Amino acid sequence: MFEWLHPALVYLAGAFLLPFVPNGKARASLILLVPLIGLIPLLTMPYGETLQFTLFGETLTTFRLDRLSFVFSLIFSLAAFLSLLYAWHVRDTMQQVAALAYAGSAIGAALAGDLITLFVWWEGTAIASVFLIWARRTEGSYNTGMRYLIIQIASGVVLLAGAAIHYRETGSLAFDKLSLEGVGAWFILLSFGIKCAFPLLHNWLQDSYPAATVTGTVILSAFTTKLAVYALARGFAGTDFLIPIGAAMTLFPIFYAVIENDLRRVLTYSLNNQLGFMVVGIGVGSELAINGTAAHAFSHILYKALLFMSVGAVLYRTGTAKGSELGGLYKTMPWTMVFCVIGAASISAFPLFSGFISKSMILSAAAKDGHYITWLILLFASAGVFHHSGIKIPYFAFFAHDSGKRPAEAPWNMLLAMGLTAFLCIAIGVWPNALYSILPFDVKYNPYTSTHVITQFQLLFFSAIAFGTLMRTGIYPPELKSVNLDTDWTYRKMLPAVLGFVILFVSAVWSELARGATNSALAIRDTLAKFYGPEGRVAQVQPTGYMVLWLAILLGAALFVNLVGLP
Amino acid sequence: MAKKKSDKSEGVDSIIVRSMSWVDDRSKVDKFFWGVVAVGILLTLLDLFYHKHVYFETENIFGFYSFYGFFMCAALVVAARAMRVVLMRSEDYYAPQDVEAEDHPEFDLDRKQADV
Repeated sequence: MFEWLHPALVYLAGAFLLPFVPNGKARASLILLVPLIGLIPLLTMPYGETLQFTLFGETLTTFRLDRLSFVFSLIFSLAAFLSLLYAWHVRDTMQQVAALAYAGSAIGAALAGDLITLFVWWEGTAIASVFLIWARRTEGSYNTGMRYLIIQIASGVVLLAGAAIHYRETGSLAFDKLSLEGVGAWFILLSFGIKCAFPLLHNWLQDSYPAATVTGTVILSAFTTKLAVYALARGFAGTDFLIPIGAAMTLFPIFYAVIENDLRRVLTYSLNNQLGFMVVGIGVGSELAINGTAAHAFSHILYKALLFMSVGAVLYRTGTAKGSELGGLYKTMPWTMVFCVIGAASISAFPLFSGFISKSMILSAAAKDGHYITWLILLFASAGVFHHSGIKIPYFAFFAHDSGKRPAEAPWNMLLAMGLTAFLCIAIGVWPNALYSILPFDVKYNPYTSTHVITQFQLLFFSAIAFGTLMRTGIYPPELKSVNLDTDWTYRKMLPAVLGFVILFVSAVWSELARGATNSALAIRDTLAKFYGPEGRVAQVQPTGYMVLWLAILLGAALFVNLVGLP
Repeated sequence: MAKKKSDKSEGVDSIIVRSMSWVDDRSKVDKFFWGVVAVGILLTLLDLFYHKHVYFETENIFGFYSFYGFFMCAALVVAARAMRVVLMRSEDYYAPQDVEAEDHPEFDLDRKQADV
């Protein structure tokens, strides 16, 4: 019945129609309707490849529904609905259009069956999303958006190059499991790695997300990186070296998260860390691991959005999201605090919350395949997540020292969006089988074993005790107004400095050389003028006579050569 | 009518606020902390009373998860604190190419005070 309806086109049509609808409740309702209509083809279509068309003799598949793409497009649709509900009050047409186009592109990419379709939507997410950053309309956000856009577009260009090379090598554009024997696949992997914020390619994430608007950050948090996770799971499941890459990703952001002051940036670092768990799952590649990755992406999108929503609500009411400026807000924003704590409990993987039932799959899968060091790192990262996201975020925003701020509670639409998201976080934790039943593989997994629950509680309680101990002894670093250098320093400070030095050096050398050359030229001119100038010796001779003399010499020379050259 | 409604919602709010007000009392926070420590110790002792299903030998060490959680988190914070010495810069380090030193634009906010 709806076989002609592509979910991504629903979003694009919505984005196109928006400006013609009066900006107010009518338009806000239309925006909320879009994800719901987009769900219809997802839920009613049978698995398979449809909406194909032929371009230059190649069949492009725009709608490939299978168990993996279903999980991701479903959670993208849910995330779109919840974050747009959160943004109900926004009357900025630019943000409304960007949000719909962005979510639609992400869903389109998740449903793409070939590399060209994937590329088109891949760039779509880049171009649409940057407007959520520019919507802040400050000099800083303009520059940040530019940096973000350059890196996102670069990822797309690399993807296109990879697809072209891959096509030359294999004659296929199908987006399935890719073999790393060809060069093309490496380019494609690099492109995914950029969007997935692999270590050293990660910093666009922490740079840009906190620079968006209150609602923009919530929307940004859901799509781009999880699309990359989906693409990696589709193309590179079981690629061994993704395991150490993922492990490194879980590890280094937690150190930054501890000392970061901007709570939205703290959350971005922990987003990066959560992606690491998913990348490890993809690297392990077993059915349990891929299920774990898909499940973790699902629950992660929800609790991460919830955390961004709660910090966003604080920002919305107080004008700041910095730990050093906040504290004591539970008194006047109790609901926001409760929802934030639910998000925190979910990301920390407390039993009965969503993170627990998904993250434990990845840890089990890594352990089952004997990845001991990786398992130890993931365990450390799990404890660290509780430390910096689970405790730090709610603690510095709502408790800690009283900042004296007494903001009003968040508006109803934000509370409703947070409430629904919080409900889903708990529901997934309490009834994991509903989520498990839609995962890519049929694998029996029970997260609620006594070993699992008890060891997890031990880990969490003692990382809480560590937090408490460090707080009480004053070792815990206080929140300070500051920025911390990360890899973006290389292209924001070092390279410009190096470039500046090179420019200075080259121009100095050039001007020296030019001066030297000018001086020599002048000297030669002076010397010549001495002989040939009006006052020179040569000028005293009759020019014609001079000419004849030279001609005679020349003739003589020719004669001499002839003479010598005779046989 | 409207007043009545707001009274009601204040009621739910104030239950949450009241139930959390202990955080501003130093001695109650102390009690809470030691309570957490006590629960943590009990959880660790549970290791003696059930059969752990483990993947690695390490997990069989008594209280492994507790010790690992505590020491690794402590190490995390100490290391991060040390990182500040090298990595921390003032808020306007990247300004004006960065939003860190900017105020969040007011059109994107709705500052409102709670009536207290």
